Amino acid sequence: MNQTLQERIELLKPKNAAKSLNVLGRMLMDNREMSLWERDTRTLPRGARRWRRRALEFAREHIRPLAARADLNPYDFDPKPLLAKAAREGLQTLLVTPPIGRAYTLAYLRGISLQTAVVAEELATECGGLALLLLAHNLGIAPLALSGDLAAFFRHFVPYYLKLKFLGKSDTMAFAITEPEAGSDVEDTEGGARARLVTTARPTAGGFILNGRKCFISGARAADKFTVFAKIEAEGLDSWSCFLVEKGMKGFSLGRRERKMGQRACDASELIFEDVFIPGKNLVGKLRSGWANNRNVLNYSRPVVGAMALGHGRGAFERCLEFCRATRLGPRLLIEYQDVRLELADMMISLWAARSMVWQSCRQFRCYQSASAAAKVFASDTAYKVCNQAMELMGDHGYLHLHGVERAWRDSRLTQIYEGTNEINRLALFEHQMTTDFNGERSSETEQI
Amino acid sequence: MPSETQREIGAEELHRYRDLARRFAKRSLEPLFAADYPDGNLAFLPQAVEIAFSTGIVASPEPSMPGNVYGIWGSATDELGMTPSLLLLSTIAETCAGIAFCFHAQGLASNLALPANRELARSPARVALCLQEGFSPPYLGTINEPDHEAPVRISTSATVDGQGYIIDGKKSFVYSLDGVEAYVVFARVGEKWGAFLVPANDSGVVRSDVGPRTGLRACRLENVEFNRVRVNRAARIDEGGARELVLRALGLNWAGMSAIAVGIARGAVSAARRYAAERYQGGSRIENHAAVKLLIGGAQAAAEAAELSVFSLTACDFTKVRTLVKPAATKMTVLDLCARAVTDSLQAFGGYGYMEDFGMEKRLRDITVLKSAAGSPRYLRQLIYDIERDDVE
Ligand SMILES: Cc1cc2nc3c(=O)[nH]c(=O)nc-3n(C[C@H](O)[C@H](O)[C@H](O)COP(=O)(O)OP(=O)(O)OC[C@H]3O[C@@H](n4cnc5c(N)ncnc54)[C@H](O)[C@@H]3O)c2cc1C
Repeated sequence: MNQTLQERIELLKPKNAAKSLNVLGRMLMDNREMSLWERDTRTLPRGARRWRRRALEFAREHIRPLAARADLNPYDFDPKPLLAKAAREGLQTLLVTPPIGRAYTLAYLRGISLQTAVVAEELATECGGLALLLLAHNLGIAPLALSGDLAAFFRHFVPYYLKLKFLGKSDTMAFAITEPEAGSDVEDTEGGARARLVTTARPTAGGFILNGRKCFISGARAADKFTVFAKIEAEGLDSWSCFLVEKGMKGFSLGRRERKMGQRACDASELIFEDVFIPGKNLVGKLRSGWANNRNVLNYSRPVVGAMALGHGRGAFERCLEFCRATRLGPRLLIEYQDVRLELADMMISLWAARSMVWQSCRQFRCYQSASAAAKVFASDTAYKVCNQAMELMGDHGYLHLHGVERAWRDSRLTQIYEGTNEINRLALFEHQMTTDFNGERSSETEQI
Repeated sequence: MPSETQREIGAEELHRYRDLARRFAKRSLEPLFAADYPDGNLAFLPQAVEIAFSTGIVASPEPSMPGNVYGIWGSATDELGMTPSLLLLSTIAETCAGIAFCFHAQGLASNLALPANRELARSPARVALCLQEGFSPPYLGTINEPDHEAPVRISTSATVDGQGYIIDGKKSFVYSLDGVEAYVVFARVGEKWGAFLVPANDSGVVRSDVGPRTGLRACRLENVEFNRVRVNRAARIDEGGARELVLRALGLNWAGMSAIAVGIARGAVSAARRYAAERYQGGSRIENHAAVKLLIGGAQAAAEAAELSVFSLTACDFTKVRTLVKPAATKMTVLDLCARAVTDSLQAFGGYGYMEDFGMEKRLRDITVLKSAAGSPRYLRQLIYDIERDDVE
């Protein structure tokens, strides 16, 4: 009974208390000291697990040292070396399995987007802008993979992927749907029917003539190819078709580069098309299949955006945790204060919930609209909340660039806007459930009362 | 409740204050935002500050300056209460919170330095407050006794040395205008608080910029070290104990920050309304979509509630610790409400809200800094609880 308080606390800690159990009791109690990251990783299919570990290493080694500088001086930052490193590592070829891509087959069969989502979280944990720079490429090339057009797949996708995979090229593609007068409208069914589109394609001998503008296109400066969606002249969004536009095509140029609040290492630029001739072979999918292709691309990419948001939240959390472990308030470290632990625990709970949702939304072979939209909305709202908590916990230090927490906060805010604002995503979620019978059976007809 | 020495301030008088701030913002601040700068063209800032001084918007301890009495936190604050200053700050913050914060920081330090006018031959015109150490203001134990380790004592000390004092210590997160001539420095004098006016150009004063930060960038932000700085007796502002001045510094600071937050939120809501009335999506102006109405309507409700809360802070009486509860609670809740109002207003802009051109992202950055600065919610909640528990006089 002569124990000190500290000794008694030590004895009561679950790992020591467990010694009083018999062998079976001890076996049933998991007291291993292991990070949540490690535990979560072990729940993943093997291939996704591997990619998670590799992406973590890649992000720490290659993204972390660049993050602050690329955010502060995005105009001087040359993205090519990083893109090449990512390509060599296999991060740029995860949309399909070998022999063309680098996604592990068994994990892929459990969910096409899972490996990309897992990687996205790791990259975004270190830097939102650099993560977007790498990941926007997936979005750019996705229409080629998802259009179902085998000719386009073998003509454009396969050589491009092989070039990245075997030569480690820094080439990337960008995805262009948004126009100055049509943002939400190109992500929403009802808005789409009323959209005022300015980018048009006119059929001509051997191809099409493209005119118009796209705006806010992520990664446009580094990209060498673009999947551009355009309506057939004088028709509506239902005539939307996807074209592969290449840098250097006559009449195609980059316009204004936006000045953004966050994710600054990756540009958002305007694309200008002035009588650009697009050869017929650069039509992706059937003529007028662009709208369906676009919606499906969004289904696959929204969970990845959710994962990026999760990464921003996690980055803020981890850096805040580091701060709390290293900073003293009086005699104690911040981490030793109860209120600080409560707040940190709350952040972890939120992130864990968001991760569960993102992974769940990717855990079927094909992604579908409701789950993707829900994961994107929940993860981005959660990330923004967590980043705010982290900043507040650090007091005045929270808003200094030095700690990288406010950067994550700025980065996270964008995830509530792009790939459809969270309002449009909520509508998309419900659109998919409009006629669902929540009592069990699915009926396509509304019951007459 | 107004204090006994406070006189009623009429609607017309208030209208004059608001009008003055509006005219200043329109003429002197809007040009800063005419070109592409995320935080305004700060090259024009000195000019705007000069105008603010000459029109009496900004206070100064220097009696000959026009704002000495009626400027933000000028000497009339005790008589008129906080309302005029809160009104000036919130109105200016509708256009630029960073500049409003500059004036607030200057006014706050001026207000505290005013008693020194009795002693000093010449008062400095530009001043800044040095209270905080580490990453938060002092906790209750330390507010009461700077020597108290609850959880951390004040490290800056003033020791008597012949006819004066030697000041030694480090202060963090000191907001100021450019060209500060003196600091109002809070330090331990034995077991008590003391407040001193310390010349900024003393060789023992070392200032270091905190580096890049999220917002309020029009305002200077520095850590300031005082390395055995010698000051004479007249530099001491308080009369044998500066605890009440500490209370005043904290209370006025939180009140002013809350007013600035309200201004940011009001500016954001009206910008969002204007944008929603112009932007077409989904076949109509976006203001017709329920999603957008909910965002902006909610933002406006939050801003209105915040405004009510801020303008219920009238009395400028900081004689008891208990008087800190209201400004602390106001800072905490108002900042939360206003941050929500701003982020929701930004959301109504879609992608354009995220771009520097529309000024919304700046509002979000500024308000987010205010939330964590000079007393985070975590700190404020504990302080409020501790004050109630200890019920100290
Ligand atoms: C940094 C950045 C990067 C981007 N990258 C890309 C990219 O790589 N490729 C690309 O194609 N696009 C990209 N985008 C575009 C992005 O997807 C759009 O910004 C987004 O879809 C919102 O469109 P908008 O900005 O035009 O906002 P708007 O559509 O104008 O929306 C304004 C507000 O109105 C609401 N609203 C609009 N319509 C409706 C409706 N029908 N019902 C209810 N509410 C409605 C919205 O929710 C929002 O609150 C990017 C955007 C940003 C900011």
